[in-house]
Amino acid sequence: MGRLSWRLAKVAEVRPETARVVTLALDVPGWDGHLPGQHLDVRLTAEDGYQAERSYSIASAPDGARVELAVERLDDGEVSPYLAGELRQGDQLELRGPVGGYFVWEPSRGGPLLLVAGGSGVVPLMAMLRHRAASGSQVPARLLFSSRSLDEVIFRAELERLEAADDGLTVTHTLTRSQPPGWVGYARRVDVVMLEEVGWRPGERPLAFVCGPTRLVEAVAGHLVALGHDPDRVRTERFGPTGVP
Amino acid sequence: MDETDLRLDGNAVAGMLAEVFRFDMTVEWGGCAACGASNQLGALHVYAHGMGAVLCCPGCGQPLLRVARGEGRWWLDLRGLAWLQLDEQARVAD
Repeated sequence: MGRLSWRLAKVAEVRPETARVVTLALDVPGWDGHLPGQHLDVRLTAEDGYQAERSYSIASAPDGARVELAVERLDDGEVSPYLAGELRQGDQLELRGPVGGYFVWEPSRGGPLLLVAGGSGVVPLMAMLRHRAASGSQVPARLLFSSRSLDEVIFRAELERLEAADDGLTVTHTLTRSQPPGWVGYARRVDVVMLEEVGWRPGERPLAFVCGPTRLVEAVAGHLVALGHDPDRVRTERFGPTGVP
Repeated sequence: MDETDLRLDGNAVAGMLAEVFRFDMTVEWGGCAACGASNQLGALHVYAHGMGAVLCCPGCGQPLLRVARGEGRWWLDLRGLAWLQLDEQARVAD
């Protein structure tokens, strides 16, 4: 069965990441792997036959039998309140994929890597970082991650572990709405100064992957090009009007 | 929320385009008939809705592909494309 066919996956595990984000670990019969950054399409069918489809980025590295998604619950969403609220272990879910080879990184593509995420935009970048760690890649990587508050930082503990275990990875947070007492990190939206301080110099020719709400992605991509980065090495994945950090 | 918030990338419609074209269209290259820019379709600006999607040139905004489906049919309007290049390597298995 190929990647264009809809197939039934089974929810193996539901793991809360933050108050609004859950990881769904799925057993997908016949899954033949994916590339970090790819997504899959999920289809829900109501009793009256109405169908809604959404794309979700894959969070897991392509090294396991399971596929993991991390889904943010959007209160006015059509699909996410079900996926990130009602779905339970053992439930079935219709999906197809993986799809999309454009927003993809593998160690062979080199670097250095500049990853910029807003909120749940970190999900496909996490697949890249997990794969980078699992494969022992030496490609230097920097993640700049914008969240509303410390409590809303998705994968916070795992990112800390990855960074502590790896001289080649730095993780920088900015908290846009509220900061814990004593916070000395960034406390504003990603701007050109922050990108200059955290990112690579244009001469180092980084590969940049930017993912998050549309406005953040477009602002960051614009800043990177203005700083002199090669537009062909800046890849974007817009999430639309979801949970703007 | 305005039009800007709803803008996505060609990536977002990878599954739908693969159904029609049987290629991973996000890595395929197309030329804009209006401004001449070449882009991988994954880099196009996309406005999607339940019926389908419009993919526009990121440089000049020209609609390059319109894809819609309904009543068991696909509708394609490719007027905005000057050319489309399909790489055999990106063929998607059924």
